[in-house]
Order: sequence, then C-alpha cells, then structure tokens
Amino acid sequence: MIKVSHLSKEFELSKKQRKELDTTDTKAVAVSDVSFECKPGRVFSLLGPNGAGKTTTLRMLSTIFKPTTGSIEIAGIDALSNPQEARKKIGFLTGSTGLYARLTPNELIKYFADLYGVPKNVCEERKQKLYDLLDMNEFQGKRIGKLSTGMKQKVSIVRTMIHDPEVIVFDEPTSGLDVITAENIIQLIRDCRTQGKTVIFSSHIMSEVDLLCDDIAIIHKGGLLFNGTMDTFRSGMQAKNLTAEFIRIVNQSKTTQT
Amino acid sequence: MIFTIFKKELKDTLRDRRTLIMMLVIPLLLFPIILNVFVAISSSFQEEAATKTVKIGLVGPNDNYVKEQLENLPESLGKKEIIMYKDTTAMKEDLKKDTLQFALFIPNDFKKFKDELKPAPVTVYYNATDMGMQERAESYLETIEDIAQQERYLDLDLKEEELKPLNVEYSNVASTKEMIGKLAGGILPYIFIAFGFIGCMYPAIDLFTGEKERGTIETLLTTPVARWQILFGKMGVVVLSGLLAASCALLGLFLSIEVFKIVDDPKLLEVIHEILSFKFIILLYALLFPLTVFFAGLMIPIAVYAKSFKEAQSIITPLNILVVMPAMVGFFPGIELNAITASIPVVNVVLATKELIAGTLDYGLLALSFSVMLLLAIIAVIVSFKRFDKETNVVIS
Repeated sequence: MIKVSHLSKEFELSKKQRKELDTTDTKAVAVSDVSFECKPGRVFSLLGPNGAGKTTTLRMLSTIFKPTTGSIEIAGIDALSNPQEARKKIGFLTGSTGLYARLTPNELIKYFADLYGVPKNVCEERKQKLYDLLDMNEFQGKRIGKLSTGMKQKVSIVRTMIHDPEVIVFDEPTSGLDVITAENIIQLIRDCRTQGKTVIFSSHIMSEVDLLCDDIAIIHKGGLLFNGTMDTFRSGMQAKNLTAEFIRIVNQSKTTQT
Repeated sequence: MIFTIFKKELKDTLRDRRTLIMMLVIPLLLFPIILNVFVAISSSFQEEAATKTVKIGLVGPNDNYVKEQLENLPESLGKKEIIMYKDTTAMKEDLKKDTLQFALFIPNDFKKFKDELKPAPVTVYYNATDMGMQERAESYLETIEDIAQQERYLDLDLKEEELKPLNVEYSNVASTKEMIGKLAGGILPYIFIAFGFIGCMYPAIDLFTGEKERGTIETLLTTPVARWQILFGKMGVVVLSGLLAASCALLGLFLSIEVFKIVDDPKLLEVIHEILSFKFIILLYALLFPLTVFFAGLMIPIAVYAKSFKEAQSIITPLNILVVMPAMVGFFPGIELNAITASIPVVNVVLATKELIAGTLDYGLLALSFSVMLLLAIIAVIVSFKRFDKETNVVIS
C-alpha cells in the first residue's frame, strides 16, 4: 500500500537556472499538493506529459528526494521519518536504470541482496527462480557491459525483485526498449499484481496504461488533473480513445489556467 | 554495509583498466624505467667521454710550453689530439662547426712572460653548446699550471709549504643520512603526493560522477543503506587507491635500488637501507593517510557536483597543480619544518618526511603536522558528506 497526502516538492533555482528559465523566482514547483493511494494487488498508473512531475513524485516515493511538504506511507511505514525502513519495502525500476558494467549479473544481484540484507540461502533461491523464469542462466557469469539491452533489462528486473518488495515503483520502465524487451516488463508488472504487490508506474505510453492499469492519475505541471479507477476514467471519457482523452484533459487544464 | 559497498567498489575499480594503469602500473614502472634510462644514458655519456678523442686547436709558436705539457698529460685524463692553427679565425669557425672541442691561444711572447716570472696569458676558446668542454679545458690547464708552479718553486728555490700560510681542512659533521634527507629527501614525499593525488583522482571521478553519469546512483540510493555509509564505502576505495598508487611508486623506487642496482655505492646503499626502516614507513603512512583522505575529500565534492566525467576531470586536473606545487617546497634547501610550516597542509607532510629521512624530526612538530592534516581530512569528509547528501547533486534530473 502507498498513501500519499498533500505532497509538494520545490527546487531552489540557481542563478544560471533562473537565467535559463527567464524568471526571477528563486524556487520552482515540481509537484504541488498531490494526494493518492495505491492498493495492493492493483496497478496504479501515473500519467503525464514530459516534465509534468511524474519522476519527481516517484523519486519522493522511493525516498531519493525529500518532499517539501506532505506525507508518504509505504507499506504502513512513514517514509519521511523512517526512510531506510521504507526502502526495504520498495523495488525501484526505471527504463534508463544503469547497471555496473564491470560486474557480472551474479555479482550485481549478490551486491543488492547484501544491501537489502537478504540472507544468502534466500537470495540463492530467489535468484535461481528468477533466472529460470527470465531464461538468464546462460549469461549470469558474463560482464554486464557485454550483454544486450534485453539481457540488461532482465538483470534489472532480478535486481528489483531480489528482496521481494511489497511495493514496486516503475518509472517509465519501457522507455527506449524494443517491443520484446518491453514485454518482459509488462509481464513482470502483471506478475506483481497477481502476487498481491502494490505497483505504481509512470508512463506516457497509452497502450501500456490501457493494458495494465487498475487505477490512474493524470499529472500535469505538478498537480493532479484526475485520480480514480480506470473504469471511472473510461466511463467519463469525452474523447474517442484514451490518448485523445488524455490530450483533452491536459489541454483543458491549460485553458483553465490561462 | 560500508564494507559491502567498499568491497564492490574496489572490485569495480580494479576491473577498470584506466584506473588500474594510473593506480598501479604507471607508479610501479615509472621509476625503474626513468632511473634505468637515466643511468644508461649517463653511463653511455661517461663511456663516450672517456673514449672520445678531444680535438684541441692551438694558435701559437710550434714549440710552446703549453703544447709540450698538453702532449705530456697522461691518457687517463682523456684522449686528445692537438691541431695547430695559424690564426684564430679558422679556429673559431671549426669550433662553431664542432670540429674542435676547444682551442687555446698562446701568444708568441709566452716564453718571455715565463722567464720574467710573470703570469703568462692563455686564452681558451670554447663552444658553450658543447657540454663539458669548458670543464675539460679547465682541468687540463689546472694540471699544466700546477706543473709550471712546481717548476717555478724549484727555480726560485722556494718550498711550497712556506708560501702557504693556512692549511684549511673541512670536516662535515652531518651524516650521509642527514645529507640525503636534507638534500634529496624532498623527492620521496613529492612522489607520494603526486601519485597519491593521481591515484585518488580516477576512482573519485569514476565512483561518483561516473555512477551518476551511468545512472546507477539512483538505484543505489533506493536501497536501505544510509547515504553516509555509501559515501564512506566509496571514499574508502578512493583513499586506498591513492595510498596504493603512492605505495606502488615507492615500490618501484625500491625495486630500482634493490633489483636493478641503480645505486652501486655500498656506503650509500647502506644509508638507504637504514632510512627505509619499519618505524620510518609507519610514520610516513601516518602522515600520508590523512593527506590522502584530504585529497579524497577535496575531489569527492567536485565529483559529486560534476555532471560528466569530462567536467570532473577538467576541474580536478588544475587542482592537481595547485596541490602538488607546494610539494615542490621539499626541493629547496633551507626551508625547515617549524610551527608555521607544520601548519601549512601538504608543505608540512613534505618537510616532516624530509626530517624523518634525515633522522632529525621533532616529534612535537610531527604531531602538529599530523593534527593539521587530520583536521583538514575531517573537514573534507564533512564537506563531502554535505555535498553527497544534497539530492540535486546525486541525481542528474
């Protein structure tokens, strides 16, 4: 379970940034008063155009960024007062996640298992299960730098799942990946839902959202424009399809703001 | 957790060819190569000088005294060939063309000066670009002058000791160890500082900027490990790399002396062995450890701030000059370790090491130098932590 309440994030602007943005403001608001809930066994999608605040929100959930105001609860743990405990419950995967090219998948998985405090025998058991599932046994001892993008993504999946997290955060997990590699991620998200895990993922690929989502939130310029179930979203649609409805909602917010 | 991170970062670093070359290979091989080349070149020069026939031009009477004495000089002073010239014009031309190594002008009335017991004029022509030839001419003429002087004492029936009012003897109270320490002792800390800095540089950039650039830091920060633990684990590898690079340079120097026998003077060798005692090495590392932590602490905030490997490198490289320059203080004789110099970072390590080699170290000043470096190292660690803890600096948004 993820509970986000009145979450805001402001970044201080450097002189250089102020000049670039042609503003006199000393702060930029990335996320403003965002509240939502992600339930176990359901997939929550955070949808928004580039620069809407999706990544900042997910970084706050995964405790990389500290919110300016608001609260975050991860699997019953207050992520602000106890970030280390909250992190134990989270698995974090992005499409652009880099891996240590000079390590082998085995070494990398062991490293992360150690960081999460996973006992050796449990780690071995989980690793083997995931290797079999993702057909990774052949390249487990090769240096990651020599693996293909698809193989690397499989390593990232094992790395995300090795501590069996209750909550999984996917930040544009399929961006830049080919269809076959992206399918691995889609399958992983489905499996997580089946296993009763809480899944939140950000995307701007409507077909993925359509395929996977149970709940949806649309974020634009740091604020939520919609927050509800996918069924509610579909039933209230004024445009022909999801993409058109998404564009309509975003454009409508621009008109309202002006 | 710190050790888990340290172990992984060390493994990662040791698999990076570029870091490995800068950290281990270059420091280890540099001194054996440089010293071997230096010894080979200098001995080949010496050999060439010993076997080379020096051509000496001479303008003056055919039967002059200088020519006669020059011909009589033993071959142990170097082979020579005398070429007579009628005037100085052609002689100077040949000197410029390097056909002659040096030349002497003996006036026609040279004998008259000698007979009248007056100093006889001799002009030496040489080409300053032909190294060592002025010195060769000086050594020949000093020998000839000595012979002429002895002859003059005999002619005047004088005893040499009666013309010498003082018999001065110089006695050096400094031991060879002290002399090595004060005169050449600056080289050792310089090597350590230069290589310690370079050794820290690549891992610092790779483990902080590199991780940011490759997008791996974000994943690491989502693990339940405190940021200070991540920083300490990484910093440990940076410090170890600096110490390893400096130690490899020392090992290279040691190999040059012990295996390649660069030093053939047994007395000097004995002194070097005496200097490289267990106590010396322990004290040296006691000074180097906070220095390397200080280097790491200087580089990490830059590496954390930089957005790319190139950017980090372009900031840290000039810093190298700034840090290594004070280490050159050790090359100047006369600058001693005192309360002021012991308070100047880098300079204090260089001077304390010099004193350590010479065996004249004041332990109070050593403690002051160590405390200053330790304090700076602590400040550098705090600054690094503050920078690493700043969320905007660890993630490229």
